[in-house]
Amino acid sequence: MNWKIWSLKKSPWVFHVNTGACNNCDIEIVNLLTPKFDVERFGIKLVGSPRHADALLVTGVVTRQAAPRLQEAYRQTPKPCVVFAIGACACDTGIFNTGYHVFGPVDKIIKEVDPNAIIAYVPGCPPKPEAMISGVVKALSAL
Amino acid sequence: MNQEELESKLSEIKGKLIAIEHQPHNRIYLPCEAENSYEVNKFLFEDVGLRFVIATGIDSDDCFEILYHYCCDEIGHVVTLKSFIRDRENPVAESIAPFLPGAEWIERETHDILGIEFKNHPDMRRLILADDWPDGVYPLRKGTKRPDSKPSSRPIAQSQSPAGRTIQLSKPIVAVGPFHPLQEEMEFYQLTVDGEKVTDIDVRISYNHRGIEGISESLQFDQVPFLVSRVCGICSASHPLAYVQAVEDIAGVKPPERALYVRTIINELERIHSHILWAGLAGHFIGYDTVFMWAWKYREPVLDLLEEITGNRNNYGNVKVGGCREDIPDELKPKILKEMDKIEKKIDMLIKAVTDDPILHVRLKGVGILSYEDAVRYAVTGPTARASGVAIDVRQDEPYAAYGELDWQVISRPEGDVFAKVVVRLLEVVESIKIVKQAVKKLPAGPIANEVKEIPPGEGVGHAEAPRGETFHYVRSDGGNRPVRHKIRAPSYVNVPSFKASCIGADIADVTITLAAVDPCYSCTERLAAVDRDSKVIHDYEALLQISREKTARIKKELGVPGIKMEDLQIG
Repeated sequence: MNWKIWSLKKSPWVFHVNTGACNNCDIEIVNLLTPKFDVERFGIKLVGSPRHADALLVTGVVTRQAAPRLQEAYRQTPKPCVVFAIGACACDTGIFNTGYHVFGPVDKIIKEVDPNAIIAYVPGCPPKPEAMISGVVKALSAL
Repeated sequence: MNQEELESKLSEIKGKLIAIEHQPHNRIYLPCEAENSYEVNKFLFEDVGLRFVIATGIDSDDCFEILYHYCCDEIGHVVTLKSFIRDRENPVAESIAPFLPGAEWIERETHDILGIEFKNHPDMRRLILADDWPDGVYPLRKGTKRPDSKPSSRPIAQSQSPAGRTIQLSKPIVAVGPFHPLQEEMEFYQLTVDGEKVTDIDVRISYNHRGIEGISESLQFDQVPFLVSRVCGICSASHPLAYVQAVEDIAGVKPPERALYVRTIINELERIHSHILWAGLAGHFIGYDTVFMWAWKYREPVLDLLEEITGNRNNYGNVKVGGCREDIPDELKPKILKEMDKIEKKIDMLIKAVTDDPILHVRLKGVGILSYEDAVRYAVTGPTARASGVAIDVRQDEPYAAYGELDWQVISRPEGDVFAKVVVRLLEVVESIKIVKQAVKKLPAGPIANEVKEIPPGEGVGHAEAPRGETFHYVRSDGGNRPVRHKIRAPSYVNVPSFKASCIGADIADVTITLAAVDPCYSCTERLAAVDRDSKVIHDYEALLQISREKTARIKKELGVPGIKMEDLQIG
């Protein structure tokens, strides 16, 4: 196994990017930090800058205004990194598909700047915190 | 003001109107020509003293319409001024923002989406459309095609600055932006500071604009509640409720009694978890992370209850036109009551902790004051208004669901500072618990939905009290199976712009908590940067949070409170 990937899987630090979500996935992500779920037990930690992150948690449809910012945040994340598309909107734009200000699902926007990006999907509206934890674990063990 | 007074006032301006149309459910429509709209608006706001809610721009076939919605809170009337702009080629209206700053954003938005010019508007920049949105494309005009959706690979544009201001932010700061785990959504504030004092504040939104009003016109009446519950994840009960009430207003249906109680219970549970969530975040902002952890822990049982009732922790999708989708099973009642008892104790503890803490008094009293006059001018709602002495609450002013039959109080405080907002929210949780308990005990038997076959042509208004304030929905139907226009006004839309009144002149250390005190829903200041006027130093959000926390620590020291730990100063 590539040592970079091996080290990525240990206590991943995540950075949260909202690209036009309804706040639900975001609140549930913050919920992961609080006593009931407490993901810091597993070494998962929310950090304040993409430069410190091993993974991006992207929520929401990517709006026209947010798309270049998401690409910029991705560019600044050290590679290798995993992009998690959290929630139905991030996975495939969900109910907002026909919106005039919607640019498209997260994978499409990320792949424009990096065709080989590692993208994991956690569907749900919003996914339950347990589903998010399970998604992270599954994605990391698949690497 | 009573009904006769309102009517006699309205008849004074009759000459400027085409008609005065009374509709059932306390709705008054005042059609007029665009030339007279400025004068009538000024009269309604200043002389009659109505509260401005929002304006709706509509592309009708032969003209543009701007609907100015006002509320008369004393008697629960919604007065709508309909202004017709006949010139389709060059639509112009007189701006009402000079005397009503609360209308500034909606006029900018109407310009964005319909291309209506507003004469004498103080600041006609783009509001909700992206920087690279093509000029001259107005998404809500009939027949507008979705523009090319190829993301621009060009560098991220500098945020627009108002004319005459010299804020220039270089690309890395805008883009990298100090994201913070607790700052959920994208919103870009620019604070101009002179030393410690904030001299100007500006905000750029659009990051979160999904065009829901446009999508809504492509969905059927019955599908829209699922869409509008995703306007905001935390208000996911009140938005569909307001929409459904607007459609029920058109169709003239009344849901069965039990459905009204179920709606009440779900909406109050939502308020409880939202207010507790806010209390936790507020604690975090000033460096009390214990409050953050505890508050969010207490909030979990409420989410579990909502999951048991509706099947989802958020986005309940439980209301529909004519009633509710899911019932509250009788065997769940004792559990709800038990959980409410538990939460009540925790909230009592939290209230005592806040009101007895000398540090919080020093830290939050007199900070970020929004005066009564400003609260009226900016047309704010919800706890933001009630903490400034404007005791409006849709649940009381125009009782919907079962609120009229239950015993509870509107909480209001005259001070207008952040402390008042904290107190109002915490005391409202107690009232909400009271409401839930009564509603569960009184839950009448019977069906939970009436069948609604067709939605006739017409227009309707529905409003509901969300945790952050009044959500307001306007729906127009042409007799088909989908709305032809659906206007949504979330409470933060009027609450957020009030920071112009509450932040300017404040210390930089107080800005985070002042901005957070309105509980911005579309936001939380994900991208906050401060520019020092002389040195052009840019403080990022974490630095601001640090400054805020240092001030708390300093106060602790001055008051001689022992035990200032490093954790208090660290960025969480």
